[in-house]
Amino acid sequence: MSTDPLKKRKTKVIRGDGGTPETKRIRGDADQDVRVYNEEVELEGRDTEQDYILYKSTCEAVAKLMAEIQDLKASGAKEGSMEVEERRRRGSVHFIALKKLNRMAHMRLKKARDQTHEAKQRVDVLHLQLQNLLYEVLHLQKEIGKCLEFRSQHEEIELVSVDEFFQEAPAEISRPHLTKEDPHQLTLARLDWELEQRKRLAEQYKSSLCTKEKILKGIEMKKEYLNSLQPGLQAIMQASLPVQEYLSMPFERVQKQAEVARHLPPPLYVLLVQASAYGQACDTNLSVSISGDVDEAKALSRPPEDSQDDESDSDAEEEQQNTKRRRATVGVQLDDKRKEMLKRHPLSLCIELNCKDGSILHLFFYYLMNLNILTVKVKVSASADLSGAISAGELLNPESLLNCLYASDHGQETPNPANRYQFDKVGIVSFADYVAELGHPYVWVQSLGGLHFSSDSPQVEGPHSSLSASHMESTMKLLRGRLQARLALHKQFSSLEHSIVPVSNECQHLFPAKVVSRLAHWTMMSYEEFLASRCTQVILCLFYWRPLWVSARLQAAVVLNPRYPEITPLFSLSLLWKGERSGRTDDNLRAMESEVNVFRSELQGPRPGLQLLTNQMQRLCVCLDVYLETESQVCDGSEGPREFPREKMCLRTARGPNRLKPFKYNHPQGFFSHR
Amino acid sequence: MGPVELLHMSVFSQTFSPCGRFLAAGNNYGEIAVFSLSAALSPDATGMSQKPILTFAAHEGPVFSLISTDTHLLSAGNGEISAWSWAELTKRSTKALWTRRPNYKTSLEIPEINAMIVNSKDNSLIVGGGDNNIHIMDMETGTFKSVLQGHKDYIHCLSFREREGELLSGGEDGAVRIWGELIAHQCLQKSLLVSVTYLGECTRPQFGKWIGCLTTDSDWMLCGGGPALSLWHLRSMSPTSVFSLAGCQREAVFYQDLILTVGEGPYVSHCVPGGTVKAQIPSSSPSLNTLTLNLNSNEHRVMTTAGSSDQIDVFTNFSYRAFSLSF
Repeated sequence: MSTDPLKKRKTKVIRGDGGTPETKRIRGDADQDVRVYNEEVELEGRDTEQDYILYKSTCEAVAKLMAEIQDLKASGAKEGSMEVEERRRRGSVHFIALKKLNRMAHMRLKKARDQTHEAKQRVDVLHLQLQNLLYEVLHLQKEIGKCLEFRSQHEEIELVSVDEFFQEAPAEISRPHLTKEDPHQLTLARLDWELEQRKRLAEQYKSSLCTKEKILKGIEMKKEYLNSLQPGLQAIMQASLPVQEYLSMPFERVQKQAEVARHLPPPLYVLLVQASAYGQACDTNLSVSISGDVDEAKALSRPPEDSQDDESDSDAEEEQQNTKRRRATVGVQLDDKRKEMLKRHPLSLCIELNCKDGSILHLFFYYLMNLNILTVKVKVSASADLSGAISAGELLNPESLLNCLYASDHGQETPNPANRYQFDKVGIVSFADYVAELGHPYVWVQSLGGLHFSSDSPQVEGPHSSLSASHMESTMKLLRGRLQARLALHKQFSSLEHSIVPVSNECQHLFPAKVVSRLAHWTMMSYEEFLASRCTQVILCLFYWRPLWVSARLQAAVVLNPRYPEITPLFSLSLLWKGERSGRTDDNLRAMESEVNVFRSELQGPRPGLQLLTNQMQRLCVCLDVYLETESQVCDGSEGPREFPREKMCLRTARGPNRLKPFKYNHPQGFFSHR
Repeated sequence: MGPVELLHMSVFSQTFSPCGRFLAAGNNYGEIAVFSLSAALSPDATGMSQKPILTFAAHEGPVFSLISTDTHLLSAGNGEISAWSWAELTKRSTKALWTRRPNYKTSLEIPEINAMIVNSKDNSLIVGGGDNNIHIMDMETGTFKSVLQGHKDYIHCLSFREREGELLSGGEDGAVRIWGELIAHQCLQKSLLVSVTYLGECTRPQFGKWIGCLTTDSDWMLCGGGPALSLWHLRSMSPTSVFSLAGCQREAVFYQDLILTVGEGPYVSHCVPGGTVKAQIPSSSPSLNTLTLNLNSNEHRVMTTAGSSDQIDVFTNFSYRAFSLSF
């Protein structure tokens, strides 16, 4: 149609879409008489409401026409009648209108859709742009964050503080005029300064190292020089020995002793040190020396690798030998084990205590290695002749001389509780069997060596020298006291055996001038005999017995404690005169016993109280005198001459409910009274 | 007190508190120990309840005599008498209330006081001791009212006849003297001498003639010591029975129908007034000095004896020794 518009003169209705109205219009403009009919434009002008109303009315009209046609047809109208035809025509016109309306509706819908689509597209584009921008923003923010967090390596270097920097750095580096404003320049300047300083210090370090090496070399040389001196000095020492002897300054001996002392076992070493110290400080009559085999001691302290090699060799040898000869019996093996357990250390200490009267107490200290205890053996060299007294044989017996130096320290059992378990292994029942050979393990000996055994646990710590020091003085004093007491007793016993009670001059005031009773007999008695005798009283160790007087015999059993004179000897009396009376049956004899047993403070005489026993015996003689002289009974009932003439001055002969005699002697008045 | 001192201790006197729950005993060292009898007799008594609750040094010399009044404990030491309050003693306070000394003539040796008796009628204390005299002290004022002289040797024991108000005293000279109407009258002393030695049955010359113990029951009198223990009828002044006990008796008491006596020998003798020795109950001391009966209390009616050891035997049933208190 459009190709040949000039030819056709008919009015043409050019209907076109929305997209091509212009082109059509342009071509239409070239044609004249071309009427342009644009339905879209028309569409905009029409109102949808009106269209809807039109639609409805058209439908009604069609319906009405149809109804009319129906009526007409029903009422018998002919086919092709005018009314029907007319109505048909009108109806077709209405149909056309309806079609147009339908077209309108579709066109409106399409238009709306197109508009929406367009708008959507625009929105999408914008949205996309927004997203892009947001992403970029985020990216930039991250980058900024990274930049801000960036730590440059220069910040890890420790720099001096800003004030110090400004103070120390020279001006060309610090450039204060620049750096005070600009932190970047400041940091740069500080880094520069740091670099310079470090370079300088590195130089210093190198130079110090050099000097140090030089000095070390110097030291080495001097050491070598000193070592070369040692042999020279030894030679000088040897040469000076005679000079030392001449001047009595025994340096050499002391040094030798110190040398040997290094090989002593720890308890003996402690004992040596403490005893030497005590000897030097307090007691010049004490001397210490070491005796024994030093080589063996050195062998004992050899390091274990060597001894292990030896052992394995010797084991191999032993096995060979065992197959050759008969294996030793179990008993012998046990015996060997016992010997091994009770082995003594080869070195021993000897301490000598010199007393004023010239007698010497020798103490030999041994260390039992496996049992970790010290034992002591004792020897007395007395200045006077000790062979006189028979009864005194027990007094200085080395086996019992040091018994009970401290209370109940008999030295028969080992004080180390751990030894019990060791003994059980090798079948040793009691240590007392070996005491004679090995020495006495007294508790004070352990204390002197610094060994302390607590009864709670079998553990023992190493030797303490403080323990040794605290015991040293008291033990040495006790030892001296013991020796002197025993020597004094020995002298007293030899005198007593000759029936003389030796009373020293200082104690004469305790007794009246004339004592008629005499000591007749002095012998030893065993403890069983003592217990069996009728005058039985309680308690402890040594034992003597002698009667006195002729017609009236007083028998007394005396019990002496090894710690005499600290513990008073106890007397138990029985009187053989007109019947036998004893301290159990006669109150007066009991009073005599108490007179000698209880009043130790009066009887012990001057310190150290060695006169106690003799004073007790003298007092017993005096009391016997009083007893016999104040007895007034005569058998036949009449008052005849007294058997014992009254020579003692007594105020009253009986006092109190049990009519005790006056046994207390008053000095210097010289009369007897009651207590 | 070491073991040696304990070995040589002798208890010389004992007395019970007025309530009967405590026992006081005096020994030769001058100490007095107070024991709680109720603790020792209770069913859950331990070893500790047989030890004294309080021991203190009362006098310098031995305490030979102790007596108890209603509130006080009187003890006699070397020539002095001290009084202690029982209430204070049970609270363990050992301060003496007073100490008095009779007037002695001798000054060289201080005589001991062996016996004390309280005369409740006129509230006086009668003491006799080593100076051969009997002193009478008024308990109210504390002064010594009178001295009764007559004995030739020291006085061992005193006894009081309640009904007649007469005092009996026995001494080392072998005489028993009866003092009558002595109470306020210094001069009027009617003393009757009973010389025990003249009667052959009782005398035992090997022991001497001293009278160690004396007790009276108003009609009857028991006396012994050197001579054998004998029962005398006081109205007729003649002995009715003599008890053949081996040692010298130091204390005798009448108890119901029995005569209980102690002395040399480690036993308590039960005798019948007829003259037979019914039983001899062994005790722990080798010889006994004192015997007391706790008549003050019904639930703790025990007999205690003590002598030449540090043990005081307690007899709950008089036929055997129940346990011992120890110093």
